[in-house]
Amino acid sequence: MSSAAIEVDGISYAYDGRRAVDEVGFTVDRGETLGFLGPNGAGKSTTIKMLTGRLRPQTGTITILDMPMPSQASKIQGRMGVAFEEKNLYANMTARENLVFFGRLFGVSDLDPDGLLDRVDLVDRGDDRVAEFSKGMKQRLMIARVLINTPDVLLLDEPTDGLDPVSSQAIRHVIQEEAERGAAILLTTHDMAEADKLSDRVAFIDEGRVLVTDTPENLKLTYGNRTVRIRSRDDGQIVETVIPLDEQGADERIRQAVAAHELLTIHTQEATLEEIFIHFAGRGLDA
Amino acid sequence: MISLRIVWAIVRKDIAQMGRDRFFAYITVLGLVAYVALFWALPSTVNETLKLGIHGVGSDLLAGQLGDQQGLDLAVFDTSDALEQAVTNGDLAAGVDFPDDFLPSVALGEPTTVNVYVPADTSPDIRTAISGMVRELAFLVAGSTLPISPPSEEEIILGPDRAGDQVPLKDKMRPLLAIFLLMMEMMSLASLIAQEIRSKTVTAVLVTPARTSDFLAAKTLLGTALAFTEVVLMMVAIKSFGSEPLVLLTALLLASFLVTGLALLAGSTGRDFIEILLLSVLLIVPMMIPAGAALFPGTAATWIKVLPSYGMTEAIVRASAYGAGWAETAPYLLATLAWCAAVFAVGVLMLKRKVETL
Repeated sequence: MSSAAIEVDGISYAYDGRRAVDEVGFTVDRGETLGFLGPNGAGKSTTIKMLTGRLRPQTGTITILDMPMPSQASKIQGRMGVAFEEKNLYANMTARENLVFFGRLFGVSDLDPDGLLDRVDLVDRGDDRVAEFSKGMKQRLMIARVLINTPDVLLLDEPTDGLDPVSSQAIRHVIQEEAERGAAILLTTHDMAEADKLSDRVAFIDEGRVLVTDTPENLKLTYGNRTVRIRSRDDGQIVETVIPLDEQGADERIRQAVAAHELLTIHTQEATLEEIFIHFAGRGLDA
Repeated sequence: MISLRIVWAIVRKDIAQMGRDRFFAYITVLGLVAYVALFWALPSTVNETLKLGIHGVGSDLLAGQLGDQQGLDLAVFDTSDALEQAVTNGDLAAGVDFPDDFLPSVALGEPTTVNVYVPADTSPDIRTAISGMVRELAFLVAGSTLPISPPSEEEIILGPDRAGDQVPLKDKMRPLLAIFLLMMEMMSLASLIAQEIRSKTVTAVLVTPARTSDFLAAKTLLGTALAFTEVVLMMVAIKSFGSEPLVLLTALLLASFLVTGLALLAGSTGRDFIEILLLSVLLIVPMMIPAGAALFPGTAATWIKVLPSYGMTEAIVRASAYGAGWAETAPYLLATLAWCAAVFAVGVLMLKRKVETL
């Protein structure tokens, strides 16, 4: 048995001759969360479609839980949970009915809908129709739906996009719990701060290609600019000194800046994933 | 491979959803009640008597000679105006007004004119028949006989003799009512499918162990079962099951299957309720033509015979109104079966393509 729950090797897909995904490859281990980051149109959704068996890769292979996708799609999907960016819930059914229906599709005989609703703080809204739910509540119900079959692999597409802080925190908490349980999680998002908080590793994708895959920490240390920002008072004037840590003689400059005046604050600042993405793609996520 | 567990789960969910769609729940129940009520409100007898009015010289003589003839009801009017008014009011099929100089003119061989009043909507063939009858009446009034020896006639009736036992219009309306009801079910299923596509809930279903074939099988099963149940209920309520109930049940089952195929087609192409409505109307109108044509006597035009609902309509009319058996209805049932296969194949392909490209 491979340690990787998801193994993607050189997959490509083109729509009418336009390459949406080009020789993409990555792995996600059991218990690991991989942030799949890129701007809109980068190829994330097409990759997800191939991972869920809705599109067949034109080149390359996908192996999930040691089974080839899509030829073993039905078996894989029985152990997979997918949350889409669209809130594709049955609006005229209650939250509990939605979960019970999907439980039947998965053949889960001992489904505990209230337990699932409790995990996303919706247990007291179980009998309300989804049409009455806010965006955040719908998204939380989507996450509860993902957990119905206690999946070994989770594919989460923009799970906290546009949500209020309470809903975002609830969802982040569930994602962390699932990773601790041992599920492999692929998190597609264009929210770099979210990915930084939740991901063990991140893969940047742009124009259908994976640009780099590594831990957020390594990426920031390797490709980012670290700085120290020192604020001090000199004859009643506030003086701010910014010292790049990667420059030669940085230690000495910091010592001098601290000793020279009345020290007020010292801040260290590391690069953001957004800056790293710009470093690789030559453009930001919104460009 | 279709999973019965998954198909049943989808069907249960769909039934719950349809029950919560108040619009379709109401029109389904109201439609059933309204069509049954309409059927029973229609007259159950056929008037086979021709009502004719006459005025002028010889009227009493004619009334005396022809008054008790089967199928003819002669009424004598005192004035031309009264006769004309009765025709205008629709009380008579025609009015024959003999002029005062009719007898002398006929006796002298001089030309004379008999006025025949007919309602504006009388068809040309009926007018011709009335003109022929007037000529015969004129001979009767003039006391002459036709200058020919008419050949003896032997009337050979093909099929059961329905003189005095005509099938009432309402009995011929059964297929039309059935099609109306089936089309409502078609709209209901098409709307449900379009809703699943629009909200992309179908995508959520298809990333579970459910396959596209399970989804299609569930929609087919639900659509056919609902349409069949409802149309059978209506046919029971309007007493359509005569001596050949199995023939009628088969025709109704095929009809239900046919409209389910149409629903898959409409549901996969329409994006919202208005588009579904428009598409449904486009599909309903040609489906209703054979049922409408069945209301009138005579043979249907060739182009009507190639419409998908023609076979189904003929089978329903023959089985419910005339008690026709398997032998007589087989060609129509087979034609419907062929149409079912064609429409269903196109519907399934369209929906499969739509679902898989979401």
